[in-house]
Formats: sequence, structure tokens, C-alpha cells
Amino acid sequence: MKAREVAIARIWLIAGHSFRKAVRQRLPRLLLVMLGASWAAALVLRDFRLGSSEIRFLLDAGFGAEAMFGAILAVVATAQLFFGETERRTVLMVLAKPVRRAEFILGQFGGVLLLLLAFCGAATALLSGLLWWRLGAMPGAAAGAPGAGPLVVFGDVVLCGVVQWLRLGVLAAVTLLVACYARSSLFAIMVGFAVLVIGHLHHLARDFYELAGSTWTAAGARLLSTALPDFQLFNVADRVAAGEPLPGGLLVGIACYALAYMGVFSALAVFCFQRREL
Amino acid sequence: MVGVRKDFPPPVRGPAARALDAVTLRIPAGEVVGLVGPNGSGKSTLLKIILGLLAPSAGTCRVFGVPSERVEARRGVGYLPEAPDFCPQLTGYELVSYHARLGAVPARALRVAVESALDRVGITAAMHRRVGTYSLGMRQRLGLAQALVTDPRLLVLDEPVSGVDPVGAEEFCRLVGRFKAEGRTVLFSSHLLPQVERVCDRVVLLNGGRLVLNRSVAELAGRSGAMALLVDPLPVFRLEELRAWLGTRGAALHAVEPSRANLERVFLEAVGRAAVEGS
Repeated sequence: MKAREVAIARIWLIAGHSFRKAVRQRLPRLLLVMLGASWAAALVLRDFRLGSSEIRFLLDAGFGAEAMFGAILAVVATAQLFFGETERRTVLMVLAKPVRRAEFILGQFGGVLLLLLAFCGAATALLSGLLWWRLGAMPGAAAGAPGAGPLVVFGDVVLCGVVQWLRLGVLAAVTLLVACYARSSLFAIMVGFAVLVIGHLHHLARDFYELAGSTWTAAGARLLSTALPDFQLFNVADRVAAGEPLPGGLLVGIACYALAYMGVFSALAVFCFQRREL
Repeated sequence: MVGVRKDFPPPVRGPAARALDAVTLRIPAGEVVGLVGPNGSGKSTLLKIILGLLAPSAGTCRVFGVPSERVEARRGVGYLPEAPDFCPQLTGYELVSYHARLGAVPARALRVAVESALDRVGITAAMHRRVGTYSLGMRQRLGLAQALVTDPRLLVLDEPVSGVDPVGAEEFCRLVGRFKAEGRTVLFSSHLLPQVERVCDRVVLLNGGRLVLNRSVAELAGRSGAMALLVDPLPVFRLEELRAWLGTRGAALHAVEPSRANLERVFLEAVGRAAVEGS
């Protein structure tokens, strides 16, 4: 076997091990239960939907809860996995074997991506099941209003889950980069959430400074908005909830954007980890 | 290892902390070497440099002729860190199997290698239990199993008997004896000097990051030239006969101490008996 194939096999092995560890912890199960509970609450409260259709209300609540609990999972599980390895010294046992530091970090990231894929997959399946059930309870609702499309396009719900997974992957990559530099999991978690909030808001700052600020502040805002991912770009749930189609070009653009940020952040994480004194 | 120095940068400002200073050391293949020294003397740093986990600030370190920072140097090396811990949700078998695969144990030999390593450290019965249910001693043994599973030529063990009960420490000494008989090289750090003396061929003493002694145990033991003679309890008149007999051979009896029960021996006998009765 060539060296590259061996390295990929080791990354895959570490990813599988990290996924197994993460999935057996309480956090993913707890978050799935909370996700289910929030949807149950949305069902109970569907009479307070302020004029929108029940299906749209459920889609909004469903995607919103998935985004929130998924973000918690992406940040906390990434930090827990990384600091679990360093605090238990298992990282020393792994790196004392013929394993490169880059393989270890990429394997950890792969494990988190698998965990997030499982979470988004389970959440999307549950949400689809819930919508299917509610559509079944409304005679004629599945076909939608005459002249309009169906109320729910299940293919778009699945694509929305994929976009959600890409967004969480970018967030996990940022958290891993911070973890590789930080000395405590609390710091990594706090910075991870801070980046999440900034990533949802910094386009507002950029627009404001480009219109009203000086050249320097506008350049600074643009630099910041390039360095940190714009999580608003991943917001396709509103389109799906509004029954609008998801253009293929938009999805490809989002996928390329997410992969580019994941690539850059994981490369920086490898760079930091290679210089870290263990 | 030639002229190795290791400086750790300060957390904020100020001078770097020097953990190792001009350490030159050669470990012959097949020897059991004990690394001793007070806390903070640089033992763990030295082991980590040998394993390529830390890069030396100056000097060179080679393992099997390969620079230690290269991945190839870690083929054929098993490592047990101080006080290892594992993910409590995984089983012992899963963990050792993972380390075996990282160490490139072929898939067809995986099961045998894992079971054999677990058997050597005596936790076969618990191998499908989650690590969260293991005692401290069992986790230590699991750490040893992951170090052994790749059949290493060099075993590097950092404080392998810290937190282990006397029975476990005794078993460790027996295991090290077996590794030596198999021709493996063992390098371990410890604060328990009697055990180091018992199982090691060579002792390396570090103090303040400097290597202050590197001698074979035989050399160290022979330094004073004195021999101790232990006999079963004797009545007083027999003791006088012994003194006279030694005198006729040009030797003198310097001290006579009453026989005392050795706590460790009592512990081992009691626990060993209980274990036999229990089985």
C-alpha cells in the first residue's frame, strides 16, 4: 500500500473511533431528545401560528430547533472529543504509534463530521416523519392549493438537512482550530459559540461599514467577514418553509463555500497542533 | 541521544524553563533500564523526546537508528504514559483493537494479537466490559496491553506502577522479567527504587534535567563490597556458634537484628491466599 493510502486508512480509523466514542456519550442522545421535545412543543403550540399554515409553522420550528441543537452538538462534541484525548493522555498513546499529528487531527474532525451527519440524518428523518403525519391528517393538504405546488417537498427538506450538516461542519472546524490552540475545553466552547453568533451577524456590520464607514473600517469589516464564515449563507430553511424551490447553483455554491472553510480551518488546526507541546 | 536539551517557553514572559540539559544516553538493545530521579527532574520529558512526542531544543535523538521525530522511529515501540485513562464508554477489547490497528497489526492477526495482549496483562475476563467499570489497576493493565499489542521491540513505560497495589506491582516485575527474556528493550521511569533495583539491568538517574548517573545495577550493588546474610531465626547459642564460625574464616558479624514481618510480604501472602481460596 502506498503511503497516502496508509495515511487515509489511519484517518478513517481515527474518525471511526472518534465517532464511536462520541455517539456513546450522553450529549448526542440528550440533544436528540430535546429536539424531539421542542417539536412536540411546536405541535402543541401550533394553534398560535399567527396566520401561517401549520406545515410552515412546523417547518420553521423544526429547522430552527435542528440548527440550535446541532450547533450545540458541533461545538461541545468537538471540544469534548479533543480535550478528552489530551486530558486522558490517550493522544500520547496514539501519537507514540506510527501516526502523524495531521492524521490525528483530521481523524478527529472526520469523527465529528460523522457524528453531525448522524444527528442531521436522524433529525431530518424525524422531521420528515412528523410532516408526513401532519399532512396525512389534513385531507388534500399534500397536494397543496390549486395552482400552487405541494405544501412540502420532501426532497428539499432532505437538502436542507444536508446544508445544515455543512454549516455544522464549518462550525466544528472552527472549534477544532480553537481547541488545538487553547488549553481548556471551556475556552474552546465559548469561542466556538462566539464565532457562531458573529458568523450570523457580521454581514450586517460589513454592510453598515461599507455604506457609512471610512475606507479603513470598510476594509476591516470586509477582512473580518472573509476570515470568519458567514453562517447566514446557509439559511435555506426559510425558502423551503415558504415552499420556494432550492436552485441547484445555490446548493453547489454553499457546498463549495463550506468545503473551502472546512479545508482552511482544518489545515490551520493541523498547523497549530503540530506546534503544540503535549 | 546526544547532547539533548529541552527548554519549555514561559507561559507569559521570562526565561524558558529548562527540563533537560545536555543529556547523552545510549540504551543497548535487550536491556531493562530504570529511569529514576526526583519530581521535575525531566524523566517524562526524556521519554517523550525518545517517542518523538516532544522535539528537543538542541541535540539529537535516534531510535533504532532513525531520528525520533520521524514516524518510522515509532514502529516497534510501545508506550504507556503515566496514569493513563480511557474513554469509559468503550470496552477494553475495542480500545486495544483500535491501538493494534493504529500500530498496523494485519487484520487477519488482529483478534489473536488483541486477545493475547489482554491475556498477558490478565484482563481477558473483563475485555468485553466497558472501561468505566474497570478499577485503577485494571486501567493501568489495559494501558500496558495497548503498548504490548503491536509486539514492540522497545517498551517505554512512564511510572507504570504508580497507583497500582502491591500485587499489581509484583505482577509488573514478573512481566518485565518476561519482556527481558524475550529480548525486548524496556525503559521505564519510577519512584520505587527497590523495584527498579530488582528488575533493571541499568539505572539512569536524572536530577534537575541533568544525567548524573548511568550505571549497571550490578556495578551499583557491588560498590560498598558489603554482603548481607539472612538466616532463619536462630536461638542465642546458635548465634554464638555462627559468630565463632565466621571468625575462623576471617569474617566478622557486625549486626544482628530481630526478624520482623515485612508488610509487603504479609500483604502479598494474604491477598495471594485469598485469591487462591476465591478461585
